[in-house]
Amino acid sequence: MPARPVAKALPKRRGLFEGFKGNIAAISLGVKYLIDPKRFTLIYPNEYIKLDPGYRGFIVLEKKKCINCSSCARICPAAAMKMIKLPEPDPRHPGKTKIKLWPVINYQRCIFCGYCVDVCPTEALYHVPYHDIVYENLAEMDWDLETFTKPPDYPTASEGMPVKYIVDEERGLVKVKAQEGEQ
Amino acid sequence: MSVSVIGGPKRESDLKIPGTEVRKIEKDLYEVFIGPQHPGSGHMRIIIRVDGDVIVEADPDMGYVHRTMEKLGEIRQYIKNIPLFERMAIQDACNVTVPYVLALEKILDIEPPQRAKYLRSLLCEINRIAAHLYGFGIFGVFIGHSTMYMWAFADREVMVELAEKLTGARLTHSYPIPGGARRDMPQDFPQAARKAARYMRRRLEEYRKIFLDNPVMKARMEGVGYIPKKLAAELGVVGPVARASGIKYDARYNDPYDAYDEVDFEIPVFEEGDALARAWVKVEEIKQSLRIIEQAVDWLESHTSEAPIHDKFWAKSPPLWKKVFEKEGRVKLLPMMATMKIPPGKAFARGETARGEIVYYVESTGDSIPYRVRIVSPSARNAIVFKYVVPGHRVMDLPTIYGSIDYFPPEADR
Amino acid sequence: MSLVEVLASIVFYPPIYQLVIVGLIVTLGVVIIILWFERKATARVQRRLGPYHVAPKLAGMPQLLADLLRYAFQEIIIPRTVDRGVFITAPIIATVLSILPIAVVPFTSIPDYWPIPMDYSVLVALAISTVSPIFLVLAGWASNNKFSIIGGVREAFIITAYELIAILSILSVSAATLSFNFIDIVNAQMNTAWFIILNPIAFMAAFLAVLMSTSGFPFEIPESENEVVAGPFTEYSGILYGLNMGAAYMKRFAFSIILAVAFLGGWSPLTPGEGILYGYLLPSIVVIIKAFILMMVFSFLRSVYGRYRLDQALQGAWRLVFPMALIGFGIGIIEAYLGLT
Repeated sequence: MPARPVAKALPKRRGLFEGFKGNIAAISLGVKYLIDPKRFTLIYPNEYIKLDPGYRGFIVLEKKKCINCSSCARICPAAAMKMIKLPEPDPRHPGKTKIKLWPVINYQRCIFCGYCVDVCPTEALYHVPYHDIVYENLAEMDWDLETFTKPPDYPTASEGMPVKYIVDEERGLVKVKAQEGEQ
Repeated sequence: MSVSVIGGPKRESDLKIPGTEVRKIEKDLYEVFIGPQHPGSGHMRIIIRVDGDVIVEADPDMGYVHRTMEKLGEIRQYIKNIPLFERMAIQDACNVTVPYVLALEKILDIEPPQRAKYLRSLLCEINRIAAHLYGFGIFGVFIGHSTMYMWAFADREVMVELAEKLTGARLTHSYPIPGGARRDMPQDFPQAARKAARYMRRRLEEYRKIFLDNPVMKARMEGVGYIPKKLAAELGVVGPVARASGIKYDARYNDPYDAYDEVDFEIPVFEEGDALARAWVKVEEIKQSLRIIEQAVDWLESHTSEAPIHDKFWAKSPPLWKKVFEKEGRVKLLPMMATMKIPPGKAFARGETARGEIVYYVESTGDSIPYRVRIVSPSARNAIVFKYVVPGHRVMDLPTIYGSIDYFPPEADR
Repeated sequence: MSLVEVLASIVFYPPIYQLVIVGLIVTLGVVIIILWFERKATARVQRRLGPYHVAPKLAGMPQLLADLLRYAFQEIIIPRTVDRGVFITAPIIATVLSILPIAVVPFTSIPDYWPIPMDYSVLVALAISTVSPIFLVLAGWASNNKFSIIGGVREAFIITAYELIAILSILSVSAATLSFNFIDIVNAQMNTAWFIILNPIAFMAAFLAVLMSTSGFPFEIPESENEVVAGPFTEYSGILYGLNMGAAYMKRFAFSIILAVAFLGGWSPLTPGEGILYGYLLPSIVVIIKAFILMMVFSFLRSVYGRYRLDQALQGAWRLVFPMALIGFGIGIIEAYLGLT
């Protein structure tokens, strides 16, 4: 069933009475919303959205799973992910060190496209479902390997109340309190 | 009254520097520079000359948000261009990237699975509604109706919420990839989409009451910015602007891509060609997009879930990937995607964004980066309306025409 | 005579009471509250919260005080190319003139508390109210900015549209009562019915004319920000800009008081009695409350309407509202002829 063009015409209504009716309809609709605004504003610092687990938030590395393959750094469209060389003891030649590559991320550049998470062959990278973290200076946003291996602090959660938005037929979105412990 | 120009040209040679030429204007004309820093201009400048209250000449001056998208596209690997190009119009992210992906698929000679097609079309229509609502809101505030602005942006939030459920990002989804789409539909998505569609239909009726049939707003829009069918064809306008002037042209209809040749929907065409008709085209298109969303969701629900990506990128996948897909619905990418070499060839693809037809021309020399990506975006084609339609209108009609053609500078300037 | 009585006699000395207490202090309070109401009501219709974070328990009320303080202490930038003297004095004179009509409107029927002898008060109030728009045009012209000049010219156009309507429709009340005296008008309304019921067409015309004169939606044309930035006030900053913006609201309040007295029955249902409290304070509060309710209706329209185009506003004024005003005037004459009032 392909699309088909359909000729339509503007509603043709003119005259003083129609104009009067239009004014009344607009004003009564305004009064209706004045009485029941149906708003779903998030009062942000006091409330925050508990996002779905699929949300593409900050990215964290599970160091155990990483196989140092550099795929994530290669696919990063914003060049936010970089591989750094770190010496570590070589298990096969005791007493010697060998150089290994580890990914680090620069959140000044990251665009949260999630390509790195999807390309990682061993699922060593994962998204945490939050993104509203503030840094005092730009240097802090350039994470080193240690910061990258644990989920960042989420101060908003300790100050605000978690809420969730549910699509509703009557009111568009409805703000409900997120259950404790619910993912 | 004498006006002293501070920093004006002092020597004869100063007059020859490009951009500082002194232009003579006729007596009794008044030259007003609207933009680029003006509450009603957006990221562009419109130089108008007015005789009394009537504009006799209008000169759109674009390019203030040019970001060298085409040139940047030539130094990045194919897949990395997707997050770049979607920044042309972030409310419309899927619509502006799908044709690029289609062009790549043409060169690669692969056909995405049916499920991926439906998923892409689903997100495209969600984006189309969001972009139309965005345009509606801007249009409303341009002619002074702040309630329309706030309502459209509030209802756009519903669509953004749906897109977030589907892709994991509110705006820059980076959803289509060559060969398919990046995520499958979550379990609770169909119900939310159907609820949102019913809600949106009810809201469109309220929009009609407070905005489209409101006598004040109707008076502002009716007969303003009239583009006859012939002029529309000559100027080469696209999208809702063309369809409001009676031109039956829609890339989804003339050159169906993805799932558009399988779903049932209408292309609304109006004959009036004025700002009111352009507003109504958007309303009718939102209704059709809701129909497509419902059909796509039905189809996706009734078919078994499989990875929405071409076998070339999925057949040799390790078991871990299938586990991830079953658990989270995420499609893992092959590491070769990053530096994927695409065979030599040229491809041309077009798609229908909310503002009109977008055209991509991709040329590959067999390298991992494109030789050339040419983008023709709808707003760039519609901008000519300022030059040929605005003269003859009153100064207060300029925002009406601007808002009704839904001109979006970042998309036009690329 | 005790101290309280002395103070009361000073405060309630009619010129001081009407010009300083009502004209300045109450007007400022009403303007602040109505701005808050406008923002809150518009926010509710638009599904927003409006002012909130400054004292959530007071529903964001102190936000307006903060805005006022900001305007008061902001640096006033005077561009080099403006006509300094006119640029500075125009908004001040416009503000003063816009609240001056309050001085001639009586708030009570007790002759001791009339600000001026009352025989032609309707005419004087209307005459004063027509002066202030000239200074807005002047402010736009003195700014020497293209947007200001376009805004000023628009203001001038709008004056031609509403002035006659405002005068004619309010005078229809005079025609009905055969008097230019507000006291007679209110007494006539207390005897029969309010003029909003007796002559709704004239009230409607007056309402629209006030909306036009104070650039309220849908007639917010001179300051329409999408074409002319801030109209005549484009170059203004700080308290001068605040005065310009406040002048429109003050003028709307002055007009609302005139409308409340002329059409909404003035101080009825209250009959002014003896003494300051029953003879002056309470009737004036009733009038102010009625004016305030009118202001709320004016403000609410912002959330429903956009703005008309300039030529459409002029056309609507001359083709629709002007005949309405004429009909209203005719109804007034007929009522007087039939002796209804």
